[in-house]
Amino acid sequence: MINIKSQNIPTWCPGCHDFIIYACILQAVNKINIDLKKLVIVYDIGCSGNMADFLKVFGVHSLHGRSIPTAVGIKLARPDLTVLVVGGEGGIYGEGMSHLIAGARLNIDLTVLVANNQLYSLTTGQTSPTTPKGSKTKSTPKGAPSIEVEPVGLINTINMEAQAVHVTCLKPMEVTEAIVNGIENKGFNLVDIDQLCVTYSKQLQS
Amino acid sequence: MNRITVKIAGPAGMGIKSAGLLLAKIVTECGYYFADYSEYPSLVRGGHNTYQITYSTEEVFMVDKKADVLVSLVKDHEEDRVNLWEIPLPNNIFANTVAIGALMYRLNLDKKIALKIIKERFGDDGKNLEAFEEGYEWAKTNFKLKTSNLKLKNEEIDNGDKKMIMDGSEAVAWGLVKGGLNFFAAYPMTPVSGILHFLAKNQDELGVKVYHPEDEIAVASMATGASIAGGRSAVATSGGGFALMTETVSLNGAMGVGVVYIMGQRPGPATGMPTWTSQGDLLFTVFSGHGEFAKIVLAPGSIEESFEMGQIAINLANKYDVPVIVLMDKMICEGATNLNDLSKEKIEIIKSSKIVPGQGEYLYNSYEHDEQGFSVEDSDGAKMGMETRLNKLEEAKKDCPKVLLLGSKKSKKLIVSWGSTKGTILEALRGRDDYAYLQVKTLWPINKEIGKIINGFETKILIENNATGQLGQLLKSQMNIEFDKTILKYDGRPFFPSELREELK
Repeated sequence: MINIKSQNIPTWCPGCHDFIIYACILQAVNKINIDLKKLVIVYDIGCSGNMADFLKVFGVHSLHGRSIPTAVGIKLARPDLTVLVVGGEGGIYGEGMSHLIAGARLNIDLTVLVANNQLYSLTTGQTSPTTPKGSKTKSTPKGAPSIEVEPVGLINTINMEAQAVHVTCLKPMEVTEAIVNGIENKGFNLVDIDQLCVTYSKQLQS
Repeated sequence: MNRITVKIAGPAGMGIKSAGLLLAKIVTECGYYFADYSEYPSLVRGGHNTYQITYSTEEVFMVDKKADVLVSLVKDHEEDRVNLWEIPLPNNIFANTVAIGALMYRLNLDKKIALKIIKERFGDDGKNLEAFEEGYEWAKTNFKLKTSNLKLKNEEIDNGDKKMIMDGSEAVAWGLVKGGLNFFAAYPMTPVSGILHFLAKNQDELGVKVYHPEDEIAVASMATGASIAGGRSAVATSGGGFALMTETVSLNGAMGVGVVYIMGQRPGPATGMPTWTSQGDLLFTVFSGHGEFAKIVLAPGSIEESFEMGQIAINLANKYDVPVIVLMDKMICEGATNLNDLSKEKIEIIKSSKIVPGQGEYLYNSYEHDEQGFSVEDSDGAKMGMETRLNKLEEAKKDCPKVLLLGSKKSKKLIVSWGSTKGTILEALRGRDDYAYLQVKTLWPINKEIGKIINGFETKILIENNATGQLGQLLKSQMNIEFDKTILKYDGRPFFPSELREELK
């Protein structure tokens, strides 16, 4: 068994769905029996990106929104590497949206995992690109003014050759399978992973 | 006469620069040295473009402002009716070649060489040769005696091996390539697009992966990624693009990842005057990026030095794993001169010692981190991270290019400058020994030795192509140096030798 857990104990809230994505990555890596010398994981900034400290692989904890272009640079320089991106919807669909679109257009061989909990959680609960319109959050007390991003439809519109799937942390086996498929498919792969934030999601219901 | 200046003017699209570079090629092949300068507005057709060249039997550092011959491809330069010749130009793309033909006669340049260059340039279709002959013959019949004074007096014409025509963009690109560049990304922006065009066109031959991404943020991020993957990477931009890249400059400092930023200045703020020149981004560049970290800022003073700085920059970026910025401007990026064949130069390549994929687990981290790369927030860890970063700067100092000091023992007055103003200063000081000249090549980290040199002179003069004397501010803040006189120019134009001669009377 490949064990890529680092010595650091995860700092996520008890019950956080990021634990599920973390476990799914460990499972996927074992399923493929990946050559760790050829694996690079690039992390965005956010709760999900904090996984950088909890995995013991060659990693890059980049800037908020810049995980995709950093990964593209790695892949352009070393096409033989398997490059995985881990980020939240704030970084990937918000700050880094133009990079997501450019990556899908290029159809470069990357697998981008987005922990999508419809909120900015590390910054304590503001509206995100997938927060339902009208939701009251700390930054939108009168209701989120914009309609939400629909990532799978977006990628399909940009480039039919790029792959995009929507899975949920409530069905971890599907998450693992989507990661495996993403790594095995030589092209741009978006895995949009629906999750809850155990601390802040409840404010969306109010 | 020991130098001749020719200016070619006309609307964009008529081949002003193309005719100018043809002339440059001809004078180079004849054995002369030259410097040039172009002015053009930010548009594709129409407007008013000029190309100016000064050539001589000795090295030329900057063009003269006043032209001995003005060639206008449209009828709007008729101030000097006395010496005006109206050459019948065809209303087509050959107009500039007809003008070059007439010019060859006027300048007493070797017609055989001119014909050879035109053949090389346009192939054997003959139409350009015909156009050239038409202009030459017309001039021979119509130019009268008063033109005969236009001949350089020195009979020894030999520029040796300096037969390659090169602009600063191509020169810095060659420097990077010779320094081991293998990844280059850029988003088009005047005045550095020439670097992107040159490297993109020759990428296979030079072994450089070249990519033009969606924006400057992606440019810098990709270069960082490529460098982490074991590449040697560089980017090129101007002020506005560099503003977007500064988050990545900071990231490079935090992670310890070397990337070279070629920063070609133009007048700002904001979009400013895109096709003109300026030195207004020195302090912005030196202090770019949030947080405290080591970075190096170098500035070439000429096209030839751009080659040198390109290779030094990429070696420093990899030796110390820090961001290195090469501060250029429109004058150097788009100005051309005759150099030796840079593709034949051999440069030692200093390899980075950082961990790359395949060499084990390591985390390149934008957060404060420990030796394994894992995030830390404890007091000792934070202190150690900061000190490790900043110590690099002290180490790197010894490898950064030293100042250039020119002048005799008689010089009591010192001129201090950086970057492209060097050319004009060297022209203005020709044959004088009352002034010494100090060129600052490394703008960060500032070497304290500079203070000792400057303070050894009675009178200190600062010359900069900006409005606020930014090198002066930097030297004042670092070493409390006061200048007696500051000569600044901030109208988008470079200093010309006659202007500085007047100032330094």
